[in-house]
Amino acid sequence: ESSDDSQVAGVCTTEEVIRYEYHVLYSSSYQVPVLYFRACFLDGRPLTLEEIWRSVHVCYQDRLQEGPWDTITQQEHPILGQPFFVLHPCRTNEFISAVLAGQQEHDRHTNYIILWLSTVGPVVGLNLPLSYAKVAPEQNSNTDSA
Amino acid sequence: MTDDKDVLRDVWFGRIPTCFTLYQDEITEREAEPYYLLLPRISYLTLVTDKVKKHFQKVMRQEEVSEIWFEYEGTPLKWHYPIGLLFDLHASNTALPWSITVHFKNFPEKDLLHCHSKDVIEAHFMACIKEADALKHKSQVINEMQKKDHKQLWMGLQNDKFEQFWAINRKLMEYPPEDNGFRYIPFRIYQATTERPFIQKLFRPIASGGQLHTLGDLLKDVCPGAITPE
Repeated sequence: ESSDDSQVAGVCTTEEVIRYEYHVLYSSSYQVPVLYFRACFLDGRPLTLEEIWRSVHVCYQDRLQEGPWDTITQQEHPILGQPFFVLHPCRTNEFISAVLAGQQEHDRHTNYIILWLSTVGPVVGLNLPLSYAKVAPEQNSNTDSA
Repeated sequence: MTDDKDVLRDVWFGRIPTCFTLYQDEITEREAEPYYLLLPRISYLTLVTDKVKKHFQKVMRQEEVSEIWFEYEGTPLKWHYPIGLLFDLHASNTALPWSITVHFKNFPEKDLLHCHSKDVIEAHFMACIKEADALKHKSQVINEMQKKDHKQLWMGLQNDKFEQFWAINRKLMEYPPEDNGFRYIPFRIYQATTERPFIQKLFRPIASGGQLHTLGDLLKDVCPGAITPE
């Protein structure tokens, strides 16, 4: 964030550094991958749910405001037993099916996880480098979705 | 389900006599008396302890009070687990009343979910109901309900209204006559002795040969160590 002009010379705004940790889990109930994450400031203080909602990229804020409690909430990690934030999987099937159908028309090999993560990740600050999309088809053949 | 109404009522109205004591290091203006309450097994700690909070806040200064949390013998209690589960997991072998310690400081961020309002509890409860229906009915029954039906489930729980709750829940517990049961059984197995918080797997109510699975079949399949040989 840039300092504004009214600031006294010599005093600068501190940029907050937030450390994110992302886990990809599989929900057997919804049969989709689910993104779990936690975030804290450098001093170890974890972000609150409200801070997480505020940090969602501006282009997803409308969708978030429609139903924040259906989108990102704090939940217990099913393996670690610790509090994490979770991006709800309920809508995942809707948009993934639409994209997959398009892929198959063009006879392109699809890595489901990369497709899914590149779509949902940016909502919560995870932007996959383009190099993930350049994996050669032979390497993908084991991960094609039916 | 109508045959089981007595059982449903017994489950709904199950109670655990509990004694709440303020943590000794909390700063008070005068002595804090313990507070006794019958807790509903099927509800959540943060939903039913408003009176506990008010009772202890009366003897504390505003600035000493932040988010309430509960602990039993040093273990923070996960408010998002049903009360009956918490008791069975941590204290079932001890004498009643169940003694819970109340804290207003040093919230254990690494152990407990925050619960700043009733909205958080409602969101958690409804998420559980939805996940269960995803397993039972591929979410068809829950998604066909109106928002007011979802609200009625929550209000029934919040206000301890058996009839109000089951008017909606019975639809979630039905299946078409041509099926012999749900698609999968929604279950979680909790053990105090394991690292993993719970075991949850897909499990069909009917075996491939058409017989109904029993609880013993489920345990043998997902948690064989729990079954001691005769």
